[in-house]
Amino acid sequence: MSDTEQPAIEIRGVNKRFGRKPVLDDLTLTVRPGQTFAFLGRNGAGKTTAIRMLLGLLKPDAGSIHVLGMDPRRESLEVRRRVGYLAEDQAMFGWMRVSELISFMAPFYPTWDAGWAKQLAERFELPARTRVRHLSKGQGVRLGLLLALAHRPKLVILDDPTLGLDPIMRKEFLRDVVTYLQGENVTVFFSSHLLYEIDAVADTVAILDRGRIVRQADTDALRDHVKRIVVPAEAEAKLADLPGLLDLAQAGRQAAAVVEDVDAALPLVAGAGVPYEVVDLNLDEIFEAYVIGRRGKEDNHGHGPAHLERVA
Amino acid sequence: MAMARLIWKEWREQRWRIGFGCVILCAFALIGLRTRAVDDQSILIGTCAIGVLLLPILAAAGLVPAERDEGTLRMLLAMPVKPWKVLAAKTLLGAALCAVPLMAAAIVSVAVARGREVSIPATLAIYGGSIATALLLFVWMLAFTARSEGEGRAAGLAVGVLVFWLMATYGLLNVVQREESRISHLPHPAPSTRAELLLAPTPFVAVFAADGIALATGMAVQLGIAAGLWFWAAHAVAAHESEGRP
Repeated sequence: MSDTEQPAIEIRGVNKRFGRKPVLDDLTLTVRPGQTFAFLGRNGAGKTTAIRMLLGLLKPDAGSIHVLGMDPRRESLEVRRRVGYLAEDQAMFGWMRVSELISFMAPFYPTWDAGWAKQLAERFELPARTRVRHLSKGQGVRLGLLLALAHRPKLVILDDPTLGLDPIMRKEFLRDVVTYLQGENVTVFFSSHLLYEIDAVADTVAILDRGRIVRQADTDALRDHVKRIVVPAEAEAKLADLPGLLDLAQAGRQAAAVVEDVDAALPLVAGAGVPYEVVDLNLDEIFEAYVIGRRGKEDNHGHGPAHLERVA
Repeated sequence: MAMARLIWKEWREQRWRIGFGCVILCAFALIGLRTRAVDDQSILIGTCAIGVLLLPILAAAGLVPAERDEGTLRMLLAMPVKPWKVLAAKTLLGAALCAVPLMAAAIVSVAVARGREVSIPATLAIYGGSIATALLLFVWMLAFTARSEGEGRAAGLAVGVLVFWLMATYGLLNVVQREESRISHLPHPAPSTRAELLLAPTPFVAVFAADGIALATGMAVQLGIAAGLWFWAAHAVAAHESEGRP
Protein backbone atom coordinates (compact mmCIF):
# COMPACT_ATOMS: atom_id res chain seq x y z
CA MET A 1 0.00 0.00 0.00
CA SER A 2 1.34 3.41 -0.83
CA ASP A 3 1.32 6.05 1.90
CA THR A 4 -1.32 8.04 0.06
CA GLU A 5 -3.67 5.13 -0.48
CA GLN A 6 -6.79 5.53 1.60
CA PRO A 7 -7.56 2.56 3.86
CA ALA A 8 -10.83 0.79 3.15
CA ILE A 9 -11.47 0.65 6.89
CA GLU A 10 -9.65 2.49 9.63
CA ILE A 11 -10.60 2.09 13.29
CA ARG A 12 -8.64 4.04 15.90
CA GLY A 13 -8.98 3.66 19.67
CA VAL A 14 -12.66 2.75 19.68
CA ASN A 15 -14.37 2.03 22.98
CA LYS A 16 -17.91 0.87 23.48
CA ARG A 17 -19.90 -0.08 26.56
CA PHE A 18 -23.40 -1.44 26.88
CA GLY A 19 -24.40 -0.16 30.29
CA ARG A 20 -21.53 -1.12 32.55
CA LYS A 21 -20.34 -3.91 30.32
CA PRO A 22 -17.31 -2.99 28.20
CA VAL A 23 -17.65 -4.53 24.76
CA LEU A 24 -14.82 -2.90 22.81
CA ASP A 25 -11.67 -1.61 24.44
CA ASP A 26 -9.30 0.60 22.45
CA LEU A 27 -10.05 -1.24 19.21
CA THR A 28 -7.60 -0.29 16.48
CA LEU A 29 -7.22 -1.84 13.05
CA THR A 30 -6.64 -0.94 9.42
CA VAL A 31 -7.86 -2.72 6.31
CA ARG A 32 -6.10 -1.89 3.05
CA PRO A 33 -7.98 -1.78 -0.27
CA GLY A 34 -8.12 -5.15 -2.00
CA GLN A 35 -7.37 -7.11 1.16
CA THR A 36 -9.31 -10.08 2.40
CA PHE A 37 -9.38 -9.37 6.11
CA ALA A 38 -10.51 -11.96 8.62
CA PHE A 39 -11.83 -10.59 11.88
CA LEU A 40 -11.59 -13.45 14.32
CA GLY A 41 -13.06 -13.83 17.76
CA ARG A 42 -15.12 -16.11 19.92
CA ASN A 43 -18.84 -15.55 20.23
CA GLY A 44 -19.37 -12.41 22.30
CA ALA A 45 -15.88 -11.04 21.62
CA GLY A 46 -17.32 -7.86 20.09
CA LYS A 47 -17.12 -8.66 16.37
CA THR A 48 -20.72 -7.84 15.54
CA THR A 49 -20.61 -4.67 17.65
CA ALA A 50 -17.54 -3.47 15.74
CA ILE A 51 -19.14 -4.33 12.40
CA ARG A 52 -22.36 -2.52 13.28
CA MET A 53 -20.26 0.54 14.08
CA LEU A 54 -18.69 0.38 10.63
CA LEU A 55 -22.18 0.82 9.17
CA GLY A 56 -23.22 3.57 11.55
CA LEU A 57 -25.76 1.32 13.27
CA LEU A 58 -24.00 1.83 16.58
CA LYS A 59 -22.01 4.78 17.79
CA PRO A 60 -18.66 4.37 19.54
CA ASP A 61 -18.25 5.94 22.99
CA ALA A 62 -14.75 7.08 22.02
CA GLY A 63 -12.35 6.80 19.08
CA SER A 64 -12.70 7.28 15.34
CA ILE A 65 -13.91 5.11 12.48
CA HIS A 66 -13.51 5.68 8.76
CA VAL A 67 -15.02 3.49 6.07
CA LEU A 68 -14.01 4.30 2.48
CA GLY A 69 -12.87 7.66 3.87
CA MET A 70 -16.28 8.43 5.42
CA ASP A 71 -17.27 8.71 9.06
CA PRO A 72 -20.19 6.31 9.56
CA ARG A 73 -21.51 8.43 12.43
CA ARG A 74 -22.12 11.36 10.12
CA GLU A 75 -22.56 9.66 6.74
CA SER A 76 -24.15 6.37 7.67
CA LEU A 77 -26.53 6.29 4.70
CA GLU A 78 -23.73 6.97 2.20
CA VAL A 79 -21.56 4.29 3.82
CA ARG A 80 -24.42 1.79 3.56
CA ARG A 81 -25.01 2.75 -0.08
CA ARG A 82 -21.39 2.03 -0.94
CA VAL A 83 -20.69 -1.00 1.24
CA GLY A 84 -22.06 -4.51 0.76
CA TYR A 85 -23.20 -5.89 4.11
CA LEU A 86 -24.36 -9.33 5.08
CA ALA A 87 -25.47 -9.49 8.71
CA GLU A 88 -24.93 -12.42 10.99
CA ASP A 89 -27.83 -14.84 10.64
CA GLN A 90 -29.74 -12.28 8.59
CA ALA A 91 -33.53 -12.52 8.72
CA MET A 92 -35.25 -11.65 5.46
CA PHE A 93 -38.89 -11.15 4.54
CA GLY A 94 -40.08 -14.75 4.34
CA TRP A 95 -43.28 -13.96 2.50
CA MET A 96 -41.48 -12.32 -0.44
CA ARG A 97 -40.41 -14.31 -3.46
CA VAL A 98 -36.71 -14.16 -4.27
CA SER A 99 -37.39 -11.90 -7.26
CA GLU A 100 -39.61 -9.63 -5.13
CA LEU A 101 -36.94 -9.22 -2.48
CA ILE A 102 -34.37 -8.32 -5.13
CA SER A 103 -36.77 -5.74 -6.64
CA PHE A 104 -37.56 -4.42 -3.17
CA MET A 105 -33.91 -3.76 -2.38
CA ALA A 106 -32.92 -2.21 -5.71
CA PRO A 107 -34.28 1.36 -5.28
CA PHE A 108 -32.31 1.90 -2.09
CA TYR A 109 -28.98 1.67 -3.93
CA PRO A 110 -28.21 4.20 -6.69
CA THR A 111 -25.56 1.88 -8.16
CA TRP A 112 -27.76 -1.23 -8.17
CA ASP A 113 -27.03 -3.31 -11.27
CA ALA A 114 -30.13 -5.34 -12.16
CA GLY A 115 -28.28 -7.34 -14.83
CA TRP A 116 -25.56 -8.20 -12.35
CA ALA A 117 -28.17 -9.22 -9.77
CA LYS A 118 -29.69 -11.56 -12.34
CA GLN A 119 -26.31 -13.07 -13.13
CA LEU A 120 -25.61 -13.58 -9.44
CA ALA A 121 -29.01 -15.22 -8.96
CA GLU A 122 -28.14 -17.69 -11.72
CA ARG A 123 -24.64 -18.22 -10.43
CA PHE A 124 -25.93 -18.85 -6.89
CA GLU A 125 -28.72 -21.05 -8.29
CA LEU A 126 -31.47 -19.08 -6.57
CA PRO A 127 -35.04 -19.89 -7.70
CA ALA A 128 -36.67 -16.54 -8.52
CA ARG A 129 -40.26 -17.65 -7.83
CA THR A 130 -39.59 -19.37 -4.51
CA ARG A 131 -40.61 -17.63 -1.32
CA VAL A 132 -37.69 -16.67 0.89
CA ARG A 133 -39.03 -18.72 3.82
CA HIS A 134 -38.83 -21.84 1.68
CA LEU A 135 -35.15 -21.42 0.85
CA SER A 136 -32.57 -23.67 2.47
CA LYS A 137 -30.09 -22.16 4.90
CA GLY A 138 -27.41 -22.16 2.22
CA GLN A 139 -29.70 -20.51 -0.32
CA GLY A 140 -30.61 -17.89 2.28
CA VAL A 141 -26.96 -17.01 2.83
CA ARG A 142 -26.39 -16.85 -0.93
CA LEU A 143 -29.42 -14.60 -1.34
CA GLY A 144 -28.11 -12.32 1.42
CA LEU A 145 -24.82 -12.24 -0.39
CA LEU A 146 -26.51 -11.37 -3.68
CA LEU A 147 -28.23 -8.45 -1.98
CA ALA A 148 -24.87 -7.34 -0.57
CA LEU A 149 -23.13 -7.49 -3.95
CA ALA A 150 -25.70 -6.37 -6.51
CA HIS A 151 -24.83 -2.68 -6.15
CA ARG A 152 -21.20 -3.51 -6.99
CA PRO A 153 -19.61 -2.34 -3.74
CA LYS A 154 -15.85 -1.94 -3.46
CA LEU A 155 -15.98 -3.07 0.15
CA VAL A 156 -17.96 -6.04 1.40
CA ILE A 157 -18.53 -6.63 5.11
CA LEU A 158 -19.66 -10.13 6.00
CA ASP A 159 -20.57 -10.86 9.61
CA ASP A 160 -19.95 -14.53 10.24
CA PRO A 161 -21.39 -15.41 6.85
CA THR A 162 -21.02 -19.16 7.22
CA LEU A 163 -22.87 -19.34 10.53
CA GLY A 164 -25.40 -22.14 10.40
CA LEU A 165 -24.06 -23.70 7.21
CA ASP A 166 -22.90 -27.29 7.16
CA PRO A 167 -19.16 -27.93 6.67
CA ILE A 168 -19.44 -28.62 2.94
CA MET A 169 -21.45 -25.46 2.34
CA ARG A 170 -18.98 -23.44 4.40
CA LYS A 171 -16.12 -24.68 2.28
CA GLU A 172 -18.07 -23.99 -0.90
CA PHE A 173 -18.92 -20.51 0.27
CA LEU A 174 -15.36 -19.60 1.03
CA ARG A 175 -13.92 -21.25 -2.02
CA ASP A 176 -16.41 -19.79 -4.45
CA VAL A 177 -17.48 -16.48 -3.02
CA VAL A 178 -14.42 -15.12 -1.30
CA THR A 179 -12.13 -16.30 -4.05
CA TYR A 180 -14.44 -14.70 -6.58
CA LEU A 181 -14.50 -11.40 -4.69
CA GLN A 182 -10.73 -11.45 -4.47
CA GLY A 183 -10.66 -11.86 -8.24
CA GLU A 184 -12.83 -8.76 -8.63
CA ASN A 185 -10.43 -6.79 -6.39
CA VAL A 186 -13.17 -6.17 -3.84
CA THR A 187 -12.02 -5.53 -0.28
CA VAL A 188 -13.53 -8.22 1.90
CA PHE A 189 -13.86 -7.79 5.66
CA PHE A 190 -15.38 -10.83 7.26
CA SER A 191 -15.77 -12.05 10.78
CA SER A 192 -15.65 -15.65 11.79
CA HIS A 193 -15.23 -17.86 14.79
CA LEU A 194 -14.27 -20.88 12.68
CA LEU A 195 -10.59 -20.47 12.02
CA TYR A 196 -9.73 -23.45 9.95
CA GLU A 197 -12.05 -22.11 7.27
CA ILE A 198 -10.37 -18.82 6.69
CA ASP A 199 -6.88 -20.25 6.61
CA ALA A 200 -6.89 -20.59 2.85
CA VAL A 201 -8.51 -17.28 1.90
CA ALA A 202 -7.53 -14.51 4.34
CA ASP A 203 -4.61 -12.18 3.59
CA THR A 204 -4.70 -10.57 7.01
CA VAL A 205 -6.07 -11.65 10.33
CA ALA A 206 -7.04 -9.68 13.41
CA ILE A 207 -7.78 -11.62 16.57
CA LEU A 208 -10.30 -9.99 18.87
CA ASP A 209 -10.55 -11.15 22.45
CA ARG A 210 -12.87 -9.51 24.96
CA GLY A 211 -13.05 -6.31 22.97
CA ARG A 212 -9.33 -5.92 22.28
CA ILE A 213 -7.28 -6.77 19.23
CA VAL A 214 -4.66 -9.13 20.58
CA ARG A 215 -2.90 -9.55 17.23
CA GLN A 216 -3.22 -8.22 13.71
CA ALA A 217 -0.87 -9.61 11.09
CA ASP A 218 -0.64 -10.95 7.58
CA THR A 219 -1.65 -14.59 7.61
CA ASP A 220 1.71 -15.78 6.30
CA ALA A 221 3.63 -13.70 8.85
CA LEU A 222 1.45 -15.08 11.61
CA ARG A 223 2.18 -18.63 10.54
CA ASP A 224 5.91 -17.85 10.19
CA HIS A 225 6.26 -16.34 13.65
CA VAL A 226 3.75 -18.04 15.91
CA LYS A 227 5.02 -21.55 16.58
CA ARG A 228 4.87 -24.25 19.18
CA ILE A 229 8.09 -25.23 20.93
CA VAL A 230 7.99 -28.72 22.42
CA VAL A 231 10.43 -29.81 25.15
CA PRO A 232 10.56 -32.72 27.61
CA ALA A 233 8.10 -32.32 30.49
CA GLU A 234 10.84 -31.94 33.08
CA ALA A 235 12.12 -28.82 31.24
CA GLU A 236 8.74 -27.08 31.35
CA ALA A 237 10.03 -24.43 33.73
CA LYS A 238 12.41 -23.23 31.02
CA LEU A 239 9.43 -22.29 28.88
CA ALA A 240 7.52 -20.31 31.48
CA ASP A 241 9.50 -17.11 31.01
CA LEU A 242 9.83 -17.13 27.24
CA PRO A 243 9.14 -13.75 25.59
CA GLY A 244 5.73 -13.57 23.89
CA LEU A 245 4.48 -16.72 25.57
CA LEU A 246 0.87 -17.32 24.58
CA ASP A 247 0.12 -20.76 25.84
CA LEU A 248 1.79 -23.44 27.88
CA ALA A 249 0.52 -26.96 28.22
CA GLN A 250 1.75 -30.36 29.32
CA ALA A 251 0.91 -33.53 27.48
CA GLY A 252 2.31 -36.74 28.81
CA ARG A 253 6.08 -36.55 28.79
CA GLN A 254 6.19 -33.33 26.82
CA ALA A 255 5.58 -29.68 27.54
CA ALA A 256 4.61 -27.32 24.76
CA ALA A 257 4.77 -23.54 24.61
CA VAL A 258 3.18 -21.41 21.90
CA VAL A 259 5.15 -18.19 21.38
CA GLU A 260 4.37 -15.07 19.39
CA ASP A 261 7.83 -14.80 17.86
CA VAL A 262 9.72 -18.01 17.49
CA ASP A 263 12.88 -16.16 16.36
CA ALA A 264 13.04 -14.33 19.70
CA ALA A 265 12.18 -17.33 21.87
CA LEU A 266 14.17 -20.09 20.25
CA PRO A 267 17.68 -18.83 21.17
CA LEU A 268 16.67 -18.89 24.85
CA VAL A 269 15.47 -22.48 24.64
CA ALA A 270 18.54 -23.51 22.68
CA GLY A 271 20.79 -21.62 25.12
CA ALA A 272 19.32 -23.56 28.04
CA GLY A 273 20.59 -26.76 26.49
CA VAL A 274 17.17 -28.35 26.36
CA PRO A 275 16.26 -30.63 23.46
CA TYR A 276 13.42 -29.05 21.55
CA GLU A 277 11.23 -29.36 18.51
CA VAL A 278 9.51 -26.51 16.64
CA VAL A 279 6.02 -27.27 15.31
CA ASP A 280 4.14 -25.23 12.71
CA LEU A 281 0.59 -24.21 13.65
CA ASN A 282 -2.51 -23.64 11.59
CA LEU A 283 -4.66 -20.55 12.18
CA ASP A 284 -7.02 -22.49 14.38
CA GLU A 285 -4.23 -23.38 16.76
CA ILE A 286 -2.80 -19.86 16.67
CA PHE A 287 -6.20 -18.41 17.51
CA GLU A 288 -6.64 -20.86 20.35
CA ALA A 289 -3.25 -19.88 21.77
CA TYR A 290 -4.12 -16.19 21.71
CA VAL A 291 -7.60 -16.49 23.09
CA ILE A 292 -7.59 -19.46 25.45
CA GLY A 293 -3.94 -19.02 26.43
CA ARG A 294 -4.40 -15.41 27.42
CA ARG A 295 -7.59 -16.12 29.28
CA GLY A 296 -5.78 -18.70 31.41
CA LYS A 297 -3.15 -16.20 32.48
CA GLU A 298 -5.60 -13.41 33.25
CA ASP A 299 -8.02 -15.64 35.10
CA ASN A 300 -5.16 -16.73 37.31
CA HIS A 301 -4.28 -13.17 38.30
CA GLY A 302 -0.65 -13.54 37.39
CA HIS A 303 0.00 -16.70 39.38
CA GLY A 304 0.94 -18.66 36.31
CA PRO A 305 -1.19 -19.94 33.46
CA ALA A 306 -4.34 -21.67 34.59
CA HIS A 307 -4.18 -23.81 31.51
CA LEU A 308 -1.00 -25.46 32.72
CA GLU A 309 -3.29 -28.25 33.80
CA ARG A 310 -4.77 -28.43 30.34
CA VAL A 311 -3.66 -31.42 28.40
CA ALA A 312 -3.01 -30.47 24.81
CA MET B 1 -39.00 5.28 -5.20
CA ALA B 2 -37.48 3.83 -2.04
CA MET B 3 -40.44 5.17 -0.02
CA ALA B 4 -42.82 3.60 -2.55
CA ARG B 5 -41.14 0.22 -2.01
CA LEU B 6 -41.44 0.57 1.76
CA ILE B 7 -45.16 1.35 1.41
CA TRP B 8 -45.56 -1.59 -0.98
CA LYS B 9 -43.95 -3.89 1.57
CA GLU B 10 -46.19 -2.64 4.38
CA TRP B 11 -49.26 -2.94 2.18
CA ARG B 12 -48.41 -6.56 1.37
CA GLU B 13 -47.96 -7.28 5.06
CA GLN B 14 -51.05 -5.43 6.31
CA ARG B 15 -53.59 -6.03 3.56
CA TRP B 16 -54.93 -9.19 5.22
CA ARG B 17 -55.48 -7.35 8.47
CA ILE B 18 -57.26 -4.53 6.61
CA GLY B 19 -59.43 -7.12 4.87
CA PHE B 20 -60.13 -8.85 8.19
CA GLY B 21 -61.15 -5.53 9.78
CA CYS B 22 -63.45 -4.71 6.85
CA VAL B 23 -65.16 -8.11 7.01
CA ILE B 24 -65.73 -7.96 10.78
CA LEU B 25 -67.11 -4.41 10.89
CA CYS B 26 -69.15 -4.63 7.70
CA ALA B 27 -70.67 -7.95 8.79
CA PHE B 28 -71.60 -6.52 12.20
CA ALA B 29 -73.17 -3.41 10.68
CA LEU B 30 -74.92 -5.35 7.91
CA ILE B 31 -76.39 -8.04 10.13
CA GLY B 32 -77.36 -5.58 12.87
CA LEU B 33 -79.04 -3.09 10.55
CA ARG B 34 -80.81 -5.77 8.50
CA THR B 35 -82.22 -7.73 11.43
CA ARG B 36 -83.18 -4.58 13.38
CA ALA B 37 -82.94 -6.45 16.67
CA VAL B 38 -82.02 -3.16 18.35
CA ASP B 39 -82.19 0.47 17.26
CA ASP B 40 -79.90 1.72 14.52
CA GLN B 41 -77.95 4.08 16.75
CA SER B 42 -76.93 1.19 19.00
CA ILE B 43 -75.73 -0.80 15.98
CA LEU B 44 -73.75 2.15 14.64
CA ILE B 45 -72.13 2.86 17.99
CA GLY B 46 -71.47 -0.85 18.53
CA THR B 47 -69.79 -1.17 15.14
CA CYS B 48 -67.67 1.89 15.84
CA ALA B 49 -66.77 0.66 19.32
CA ILE B 50 -65.52 -2.66 17.90
CA GLY B 51 -63.43 -0.73 15.38
CA VAL B 52 -61.99 1.68 17.93
CA LEU B 53 -61.19 -1.08 20.40
CA LEU B 54 -59.79 -3.60 17.92
CA LEU B 55 -58.13 -1.85 14.98
CA PRO B 56 -55.52 0.35 16.75
CA ILE B 57 -54.30 -2.68 18.76
CA LEU B 58 -54.02 -4.76 15.58
CA ALA B 59 -52.16 -1.94 13.85
CA ALA B 60 -49.77 -1.03 16.66
CA ALA B 61 -48.78 -4.59 17.56
CA GLY B 62 -48.51 -5.72 13.95
CA LEU B 63 -46.13 -3.06 12.69
CA VAL B 64 -42.90 -2.38 14.62
CA PRO B 65 -42.99 -5.12 17.30
CA ALA B 66 -43.97 -7.88 14.87
CA GLU B 67 -41.18 -6.88 12.52
CA ARG B 68 -38.68 -6.77 15.38
CA ASP B 69 -39.90 -10.22 16.43
CA GLU B 70 -39.10 -11.62 13.00
CA GLY B 71 -35.68 -9.94 12.90
CA THR B 72 -36.40 -8.10 9.67
CA LEU B 73 -36.42 -4.68 11.36
CA ARG B 74 -32.66 -5.05 11.74
CA MET B 75 -32.37 -5.67 8.03
CA LEU B 76 -34.51 -2.62 7.22
CA LEU B 77 -32.51 -0.36 9.52
CA ALA B 78 -29.21 -1.58 8.08
CA MET B 79 -30.32 -0.45 4.62
CA PRO B 80 -29.53 3.05 3.34
CA VAL B 81 -32.82 4.53 4.52
CA LYS B 82 -33.63 6.88 7.39
CA PRO B 83 -35.49 5.17 10.24
CA TRP B 84 -38.25 7.79 10.20
CA LYS B 85 -39.09 6.79 6.62
CA VAL B 86 -39.48 3.17 7.73
CA LEU B 87 -41.83 4.35 10.49
CA ALA B 88 -43.68 6.71 8.13
CA ALA B 89 -44.51 3.84 5.77
CA LYS B 90 -45.67 1.76 8.72
CA THR B 91 -47.74 4.65 10.10
CA LEU B 92 -49.44 5.13 6.75
CA LEU B 93 -50.55 1.51 6.57
CA GLY B 94 -51.43 1.48 10.27
CA ALA B 95 -53.65 4.49 9.67
CA ALA B 96 -55.21 2.69 6.71
CA LEU B 97 -55.86 -0.33 8.93
CA CYS B 98 -57.64 1.92 11.45
CA ALA B 99 -59.61 3.97 8.93
CA VAL B 100 -60.49 1.73 5.97
CA PRO B 101 -62.65 -0.85 7.84
CA LEU B 102 -64.59 1.96 9.55
CA MET B 103 -65.05 3.71 6.18
CA ALA B 104 -66.29 0.46 4.66
CA ALA B 105 -68.68 -0.01 7.59
CA ALA B 106 -69.90 3.58 7.12
CA ILE B 107 -70.70 2.87 3.47
CA VAL B 108 -72.53 -0.34 4.41
CA SER B 109 -74.44 1.45 7.18
CA VAL B 110 -75.58 4.27 4.90
CA ALA B 111 -76.48 1.83 2.12
CA VAL B 112 -78.55 -0.39 4.42
CA ALA B 113 -80.17 2.08 6.84
CA ARG B 114 -80.48 5.05 4.43
CA GLY B 115 -80.92 7.44 7.34
CA ARG B 116 -84.18 5.86 8.54
CA GLU B 117 -83.48 6.36 12.27
CA VAL B 118 -80.16 8.18 12.34
CA SER B 119 -79.72 10.72 9.56
CA ILE B 120 -76.97 10.12 7.01
CA PRO B 121 -74.91 13.16 8.18
CA ALA B 122 -75.23 11.97 11.79
CA THR B 123 -74.19 8.45 10.75
CA LEU B 124 -71.15 9.81 8.94
CA ALA B 125 -70.35 12.02 11.96
CA ILE B 126 -70.34 8.98 14.26
CA TYR B 127 -68.03 7.11 11.92
CA GLY B 128 -65.85 10.19 11.38
CA GLY B 129 -65.40 10.66 15.12
CA SER B 130 -64.59 6.98 15.47
CA ILE B 131 -61.96 7.11 12.75
CA ALA B 132 -60.35 10.14 14.40
CA THR B 133 -60.37 8.36 17.77
CA ALA B 134 -58.94 5.17 16.27
CA LEU B 135 -56.16 7.14 14.55
CA LEU B 136 -55.25 8.99 17.74
CA LEU B 137 -55.30 5.79 19.77
CA PHE B 138 -53.13 4.12 17.12
CA VAL B 139 -50.47 6.85 17.41
CA TRP B 140 -50.49 6.55 21.21
CA MET B 141 -50.18 2.78 20.98
CA LEU B 142 -47.50 3.02 18.29
CA ALA B 143 -45.40 5.24 20.54
CA PHE B 144 -45.72 3.02 23.59
CA THR B 145 -45.11 -0.25 21.72
CA ALA B 146 -42.25 0.93 19.48
CA ARG B 147 -39.60 -0.44 21.85
CA SER B 148 -41.32 -3.66 22.80
CA GLU B 149 -40.09 -7.06 21.73
CA GLY B 150 -42.78 -9.32 20.39
CA GLU B 151 -46.29 -8.87 19.10
CA GLY B 152 -47.98 -10.36 22.18
CA ARG B 153 -46.20 -8.06 24.59
CA ALA B 154 -46.97 -5.10 22.33
CA ALA B 155 -50.65 -6.03 22.21
CA GLY B 156 -50.65 -6.09 26.01
CA LEU B 157 -49.11 -2.63 26.13
CA ALA B 158 -51.63 -1.38 23.56
CA VAL B 159 -54.47 -2.68 25.72
CA GLY B 160 -52.87 -0.80 28.63
CA VAL B 161 -52.96 2.41 26.60
CA LEU B 162 -56.61 1.72 25.74
CA VAL B 163 -57.50 1.17 29.40
CA PHE B 164 -55.73 4.42 30.29
CA TRP B 165 -57.77 6.24 27.65
CA LEU B 166 -61.04 4.76 28.86
CA MET B 167 -60.26 5.54 32.49
CA ALA B 168 -59.21 9.09 31.65
CA THR B 169 -62.33 9.62 29.54
CA TYR B 170 -64.82 8.23 32.06
CA GLY B 171 -62.97 9.86 34.93
CA LEU B 172 -63.25 13.26 33.27
CA LEU B 173 -66.88 12.59 32.41
CA ASN B 174 -67.71 11.87 36.02
CA VAL B 175 -65.97 15.07 37.14
CA VAL B 176 -67.96 17.09 34.63
CA GLN B 177 -71.23 15.43 35.56
CA ARG B 178 -70.63 16.16 39.25
CA GLU B 179 -69.86 19.77 38.38
CA GLU B 180 -72.96 19.91 36.19
CA SER B 181 -75.20 18.74 38.97
CA ARG B 182 -73.70 21.34 41.30
CA ILE B 183 -73.53 24.32 38.94
CA SER B 184 -75.71 23.81 35.87
CA HIS B 185 -74.67 26.83 33.83
CA LEU B 186 -72.55 25.21 31.07
CA PRO B 187 -73.48 26.85 27.71
CA HIS B 188 -73.56 23.41 26.01
CA PRO B 189 -74.41 20.10 27.58
CA ALA B 190 -71.77 17.42 27.94
CA PRO B 191 -72.04 14.54 25.45
CA SER B 192 -75.29 12.77 25.96
CA THR B 193 -73.99 9.26 26.33
CA ARG B 194 -70.77 7.72 27.48
CA ALA B 195 -70.53 5.81 24.20
CA GLU B 196 -70.56 9.04 22.23
CA LEU B 197 -67.89 10.40 24.49
CA LEU B 198 -65.75 7.33 23.87
CA LEU B 199 -66.03 7.94 20.15
CA ALA B 200 -65.31 11.67 20.35
CA PRO B 201 -62.08 12.60 18.58
CA THR B 202 -60.72 14.43 21.61
CA PRO B 203 -61.67 12.29 24.57
CA PHE B 204 -59.50 14.10 27.08
CA VAL B 205 -60.86 17.50 26.33
CA ALA B 206 -64.30 16.90 24.80
CA VAL B 207 -65.85 16.91 28.25
CA PHE B 208 -64.64 20.44 28.77
CA ALA B 209 -65.59 21.58 25.26
CA ALA B 210 -68.17 24.15 26.15
CA ASP B 211 -67.97 25.82 22.74
CA GLY B 212 -66.38 25.54 19.31
CA ILE B 213 -63.21 27.36 20.28
CA ALA B 214 -62.65 25.09 23.25
CA LEU B 215 -63.25 22.03 21.07
CA ALA B 216 -60.84 23.29 18.38
CA THR B 217 -58.23 24.03 21.03
CA GLY B 218 -58.70 20.58 22.46
CA MET B 219 -58.30 18.95 19.07
CA ALA B 220 -55.17 20.99 18.38
CA VAL B 221 -53.73 19.85 21.71
CA GLN B 222 -54.54 16.24 20.85
CA LEU B 223 -52.91 16.54 17.43
CA GLY B 224 -49.85 18.16 19.02
CA ILE B 225 -49.56 15.33 21.53
CA ALA B 226 -49.97 12.77 18.71
CA ALA B 227 -47.24 14.47 16.66
CA GLY B 228 -44.90 14.46 19.65
CA LEU B 229 -45.64 10.80 20.30
CA TRP B 230 -44.95 9.93 16.67
CA PHE B 231 -41.51 11.55 16.79
CA TRP B 232 -40.86 9.75 20.05
CA ALA B 233 -41.76 6.48 18.29
CA ALA B 234 -39.44 7.34 15.39
CA HIS B 235 -36.63 7.94 17.86
CA ALA B 236 -37.43 4.66 19.60
CA VAL B 237 -37.26 2.72 16.34
CA ALA B 238 -33.89 4.26 15.46
CA ALA B 239 -32.41 4.01 18.95
CA HIS B 240 -33.65 0.61 20.03
CA GLU B 241 -31.29 -1.29 17.75
CA SER B 242 -28.29 0.57 19.10
CA GLU B 243 -28.92 -0.09 22.77
CA GLY B 244 -27.69 -2.99 24.81
CA ARG B 245 -27.06 -5.31 21.90
CA PRO B 246 -23.53 -6.67 22.10
